[in-house]
Amino acid sequence: MDVALDRLIAAANQIILGKERQIQLAVCCLLAKGHLLIEDIPGVGKTTLSHTLARLFGMEYQRIQFTSDILPADIVGSTVFDTHKQQFKFHPGPIFKQMILADEINRATPKAQSALLEAMEERQVTVEGQTYALPQPFFVIATQNPTNQIGTFPLPESQVDRFLMRIELGYPSRQAERELLAGQPRHLLINALAEALSPAQLVELQQAAASVYASPALLDYLQAILAYTRQSPDFVNGLSPRAGLGLLAAAKAWAFIDKRQAVLPEDLQAVLPAVAGHRLNAGSSDSVGIVAPILAQVSVH
Amino acid sequence: MNALPSSRLLWFMSGSIGLIALPHAWHVPPLLIGFFGLMWLWRLLAIARPAWLPNRWGLFALTLAGIGLAFSQHRGVFGRDAGTGLFVVALGLKLLEIRGKRDVYVIVYLAFVVAATQFLYEESILMALYILLVCTVLLATLVTQNSVSPQTVPALKTAATLIVQALPIAMVLFVLFPRLEAPRWSWLDADNQAKSGLSDTLEPGSIAELSLSAELVFRVKFDGDLPPPAQRYWRGPVYSLFDGSAWKAAPALFRAANPDQPAFGGRAYDYTLMMEPQKQNWVFALELPSAFPAGLRRNELYQLTTNKNPGDRAEYRISSTPAYNTGGISPAERRENLQLPGKPSERIRNLIAQLRGTEASPEVLIANLLQHFHRENFRYTLNPEPMPERQVETFLFERRAGFCSHYATAFVYLLRAAEIPARVVGGYQGGRFNTVGGFLEVRQADAHAWAEVWLDGKGWVRFDPTAAIAPERIEQSVNVDLQIASGAANFSPIQLDAKTLTWLQRGRQLWQNVDYQWQRWVINYDTDNQKALLQSLGIDDFVKLGYWLLLSVGGLSGLLAWRLLRPNRRRRDPVLLTYRQFCDKLRKAGVDFGPGDGPQTLAQRAKTVRPDLADAIDRIAAVFIRLRYEPGAETGDLRTLKTLVRGLRV
Repeated sequence: MDVALDRLIAAANQIILGKERQIQLAVCCLLAKGHLLIEDIPGVGKTTLSHTLARLFGMEYQRIQFTSDILPADIVGSTVFDTHKQQFKFHPGPIFKQMILADEINRATPKAQSALLEAMEERQVTVEGQTYALPQPFFVIATQNPTNQIGTFPLPESQVDRFLMRIELGYPSRQAERELLAGQPRHLLINALAEALSPAQLVELQQAAASVYASPALLDYLQAILAYTRQSPDFVNGLSPRAGLGLLAAAKAWAFIDKRQAVLPEDLQAVLPAVAGHRLNAGSSDSVGIVAPILAQVSVH
Repeated sequence: MNALPSSRLLWFMSGSIGLIALPHAWHVPPLLIGFFGLMWLWRLLAIARPAWLPNRWGLFALTLAGIGLAFSQHRGVFGRDAGTGLFVVALGLKLLEIRGKRDVYVIVYLAFVVAATQFLYEESILMALYILLVCTVLLATLVTQNSVSPQTVPALKTAATLIVQALPIAMVLFVLFPRLEAPRWSWLDADNQAKSGLSDTLEPGSIAELSLSAELVFRVKFDGDLPPPAQRYWRGPVYSLFDGSAWKAAPALFRAANPDQPAFGGRAYDYTLMMEPQKQNWVFALELPSAFPAGLRRNELYQLTTNKNPGDRAEYRISSTPAYNTGGISPAERRENLQLPGKPSERIRNLIAQLRGTEASPEVLIANLLQHFHRENFRYTLNPEPMPERQVETFLFERRAGFCSHYATAFVYLLRAAEIPARVVGGYQGGRFNTVGGFLEVRQADAHAWAEVWLDGKGWVRFDPTAAIAPERIEQSVNVDLQIASGAANFSPIQLDAKTLTWLQRGRQLWQNVDYQWQRWVINYDTDNQKALLQSLGIDDFVKLGYWLLLSVGGLSGLLAWRLLRPNRRRRDPVLLTYRQFCDKLRKAGVDFGPGDGPQTLAQRAKTVRPDLADAIDRIAAVFIRLRYEPGAETGDLRTLKTLVRGLRV
């Protein structure tokens, strides 16, 4: 099983070059049952990464390209009158898939955004009084452009909180870029990918990751981090209890990927930028810079 | 920045302001405190309904009304009462004018001033504690004001911490900073309001009134052992003029002086006398004071008077000698102490003749007179029936019931009628011993009147006729008067010794002792005390004092800063303690790391700096991680960790 996970990460690294850490974080996010937000300027491989993950996890997936004129009905589906049966029939939208790639989510209007984000939170969709459950497992990988780009509607803080992690990709290194330029087109490689894990295996892995041990000493450190963000004048709002739960789940998954049965402070520190960055300062893309004072100031022991 | 304060802050602030104003209700005139209370209630109501607040014109009118009230009560704004009243009114008015943060600051600082004015009225330790408590709440208001997400309990905790940290600095400043003596606040207003006590007139009922008062008059701490109860007479005013019902002290101007200085013999008692605020400038010394400080004067009647303001507490070192001889008597003094209101009646002259018998000596007459009181059916009571006319005769021949001043009056009257100079002395007798503090507490209820007779060759000698009737009153330190007055006892002797003291009495004594020390060391710390203390420390000029202040305040601040800034070492976990030793060793080895580095990070960094120790570092990190972060660590692991860390040589 662990071998499968290793293979999955290795395969992803073959597609996205030189982004080992981001890929590990993305896998960690899925293991911790969280939704993932990938933020960066266009063209650095956001869509490629999400596409790769969807393929490797072998889930039925659907890509929704968010545009400024997309409507909630285009996402969740609509009710149409069936002339043969003389009754209304619900046509499920693209959201009824296990994995959703919500591309460029911040190009859509807030109305459309909130349709997706509500579905993410409640894992169900209500259309005209009827409630429809979403498939299990259900993941959203959303990509977005930095909010200072023209033609974007930044996600409000309350909705950004629904994503367990936000990761930034950044430009590739010189060597990685050379390999990219010399290699085959990425979409061909993705199409050639075989699934590394079945959805059932993923569920097992998720359960195994959640059972990683977190000692009282580690919880002390986690609480110290939470308390620090709530007291420090650097942050407008401290981390919420939901963020604390997310941090712990992510750190457990990180330890699990590292094949350990107990969470170490280093695991928390590794996931902290991705889990806390967008919650503490949604306007900035520099997650590592945002959490740097926390890592430096909060004493581990 | 200038946003309206939150309702939580307003509640907090109003609460603390209410607490501050509360003790002022006892002395600020009802109209002013009522005005303040109105403003305060208005503010409370307006927290929920801001629309109810007065507008600018309404506020202006209220301000005029407040100023008018303050002026009408005190006819001015100077002096203690007027100033305090004005502050209270201003505080109430400002409560209604809160437009932003700035106003909250103004209110809180004004409230600190109002809190301080409380000390112009009462300096007790309880009040000091109360004000300290209120200051904590005020500080918490400021903490709330500056907090992003204010919470009540943490704000109070922060404020309390601040207060505790500030206290040592405040103490140093209290001890070292030059004390400001003038103007004496209590002299700004002539407030000799209703302090009860002995006066220079001894009315028939005056001592009975006092006997119900538990108010403290003075405390005495003896250097050695205490004089026996029968000698504990604290001398006060001497009364020599009798008008048939009341005694008066002779006016000082016409007082007849005794030609001789008193001669002292036998042992002397040295003691510290601490007077509570008094109306008169009398100092109640043990009979007779033989040595006393320069500020005191022993007048012709052997009573001590002070030149200080009697309204302040004061402390004196006095030496008294119970065995004394005042020597001769001047003709004027003899005349004065034979004065009678009219001629004695037939019955009185018969009684004297009967008591004198065949002997002519005054001593025999006195002994017979005391025997007479003892043998005949005389009673001691605090509630005698009124004797409006011919008091002495009614008492001697009909009622035969009275308390100390009746007996002293009758005794002196009879002796004067027998041509023996005699007079009534007022003061206090006895006192209750505080076993905790080791001092005597003398209360108004201990007020007493006794007689003094001039005898040839002995001078003025004390006789206490009350002792002949109710020896318990004198011999025991029990307050018989109080007990009789409350109907709790008649004249069966009451046993009350240390063993039977209840916890309540012990608690009261303990408290009295705390209060005594507070008075002695804090309230009485004045310019003179400070000068003596500074000189004993070798500080004789302002430059030196400045250095001392700088050094001590700077040192204390440094100590506080060190405590606040040093890394947190409070936890006592043995695993962590061992790990810290490991960290210290690594730091010595030149490994650079911060508080935010976990064990793995630390081990990695240490291995790059000291590859030679890689093995040991890895093992220590692994054991530590097992102990601290993994489930099911064993007790042996801790021993292993300790051994490994001890074995690490850097």
